[in-house]
Amino acid sequence: MSILVNKDTKVVCQGITGTQATFHIKRSLDYGTHVVSGVTPGKGGEMHLGLPVFNTVKEAKLETGANASVMFVPAPAVKAAVKEAIEAELDLVVCIAAGVPLRDMLEIKAMLKDSKTKLVGPNTPGIITPSEARLGIFPENIHHKGSVGIVSRSSTLTYEAVIETNRANNMGQSTVIGLGDDMMIGVDFIDTIDLFQKDEETKAIVLLGRLGGTFEEDAAEYCQKQNYKKPIIAYVAGDAMPFGHKMGYAGDVITQGRITAQDKKDAFARAGITVVNSINDIHQELLRLFPEK
Amino acid sequence: MNIHEYQAKKILSKYGISIPKGKIAYTPNEAKKVATSVSLRGPWMLKAQIQSGARAHGHFLEAKAGKKGGVRQIKSRRDIIKNAEQMLGSTLVTPQTGEKGKYVSRIYVEAFTKVKKFFYTGMVIDRMSATLTLLLVETAESDINEVVLHYPERILKIPLALDTPLCAEKIREALEFLKLNSRSARSLKKLINGMQKTFLECDASMIEINPVGVMRNGQLVALDAKISFDENALYRHKDIALLQDDCETDERELQAAKYKFTYCEFDGNIGCIVNGDGLAMAVMDELEDKGYAAACYLNVKGGVDKDKIASGIKIIMTNPKVEGILINILGGFLRCNLIAEGIIAAASEVGLNVPLVVRFEGTNQDEAKEILKHSKLPVIITDEMDEAADAVIKAIEESE
Repeated sequence: MSILVNKDTKVVCQGITGTQATFHIKRSLDYGTHVVSGVTPGKGGEMHLGLPVFNTVKEAKLETGANASVMFVPAPAVKAAVKEAIEAELDLVVCIAAGVPLRDMLEIKAMLKDSKTKLVGPNTPGIITPSEARLGIFPENIHHKGSVGIVSRSSTLTYEAVIETNRANNMGQSTVIGLGDDMMIGVDFIDTIDLFQKDEETKAIVLLGRLGGTFEEDAAEYCQKQNYKKPIIAYVAGDAMPFGHKMGYAGDVITQGRITAQDKKDAFARAGITVVNSINDIHQELLRLFPEK
Repeated sequence: MNIHEYQAKKILSKYGISIPKGKIAYTPNEAKKVATSVSLRGPWMLKAQIQSGARAHGHFLEAKAGKKGGVRQIKSRRDIIKNAEQMLGSTLVTPQTGEKGKYVSRIYVEAFTKVKKFFYTGMVIDRMSATLTLLLVETAESDINEVVLHYPERILKIPLALDTPLCAEKIREALEFLKLNSRSARSLKKLINGMQKTFLECDASMIEINPVGVMRNGQLVALDAKISFDENALYRHKDIALLQDDCETDERELQAAKYKFTYCEFDGNIGCIVNGDGLAMAVMDELEDKGYAAACYLNVKGGVDKDKIASGIKIIMTNPKVEGILINILGGFLRCNLIAEGIIAAASEVGLNVPLVVRFEGTNQDEAKEILKHSKLPVIITDEMDEAADAVIKAIEESE
């Protein structure tokens, strides 16, 4: 078990013929991911990395049964690419690109509301279920199949947390999700915590939060109501960040200077979530909770 | 990306929002000339054009600029020249600029507009609900953050659609909230619609009009204006991109932005190179825990161009406040070997005079470590982030 993706997920790559897509899809294939096809408008009918390329997502779904997309299209093309995936009724879309315009993201969020498609990202390393499926750009060598679910709002810190689960008696990971570093994102903490709590393989959940928005507070409030059984460990980055310092959130004036990393930690603590002050303390918390593997 | 008040007002007026008549001036003589063209009689407003709020509450560093702030009401033509001479070429410090202040290269000359009441309006994206949101506050405070901090109940938030203007009912609600006379209804509708159109058509990330003035006849006029644009959407607004004033941005920041990296400076002495904002925060938290602080950080994001990475690393190496460098890279999209090659290229150009600690993890990490080991540079290689922080601190303390 795992969440959102596993060995049966049939993956189509949007923008497969690009350099970065080629580099990472090849690695995902080597990893065992069930990539079935690619999409690049105008290159339909070609083969790439041994996979059939189609002009549209719809064709790729029809011909190869794809139900999830990992997209390597550049930021200006993301809106159209997500729209296509939603219209093809894929279950999941993982968007790697950074720099999607805010206006486009407002429209994407509106489209997602009325659809069955879940978006991971944008600006994310993606989602990986170790030994089964890699949809994104994760350095796969650090991942091991195991029992910790990781969900992170910071791309690179995700890897740090993965390493921490390895340091804890090699507990490994059930599924690792990068929610994306952007101001607006698809799935959030609440969506994923719920899935992890229901997943049999997951024994503990690690949340990585950061300054900006109230994703952490909302998740804390939600968890408090749910009476979850599985332990959650949280880290929040941004203690040393001066007030009002812009970290790429020009539109965040509603909360600017009001919410600190400490506020977020307090919210987690109130909800019964274990808070660590250094990301390198995660493995010790895991060892305390699970002295035996 | 931010622009100046006069530029923001020009854009807003194109979308139907009333502004006082005004013109920009770069010299005292020009100021006097344009004053006559905006209004035959005084008073006029002289407004220093720097990208900061609270200019009226600021002060100039230079004695020649006098004691008054960056926004001045002037009655006579002679005083226009005198005040323009004082302000132009001087440095204005406001609560938002930091003590260094900002250089005033131009002033905006406006006809004074008599109003009987003020209010604040802003437009932002509420990221949690992913909706465009109109903000209204009845009293115009000099610092809207004060209201946000202490009186959040004084803010009316109205969500806006992406494709339709605000309905009549909501405009009436706004009118009542602001305690405006029904004579202002049409003008308020124009103001809100104009802001919404500006926001969406120009890809803004924030618009603020603080304050809006209410004239005796009910007409609303934008007395100040601020627009921030979404940098990720500038590619589709070449005209707006041209408005960027490079003097407003720190030189190193500007250089980093050229390579699409983020660069920020702080008060400490350790230069950090990372890939990711969250990682930057975590590294700074780690240093703070150990009693140290960052001098700056460079986020090379998912950079894949070796030359750009080398140029980025040079920005850190040549910052005089940096006494030690900590490079913490978790390679995914970014390949660690490119950073290693970038370090060597940068060091060979500008020299490496401070301790350098690296921690590579992820894509091509072994290759990266090999490259550095063979480079003969005095680089300390570590495996974990906390270890790396300890190592750079130890190296700095030893070199003192």
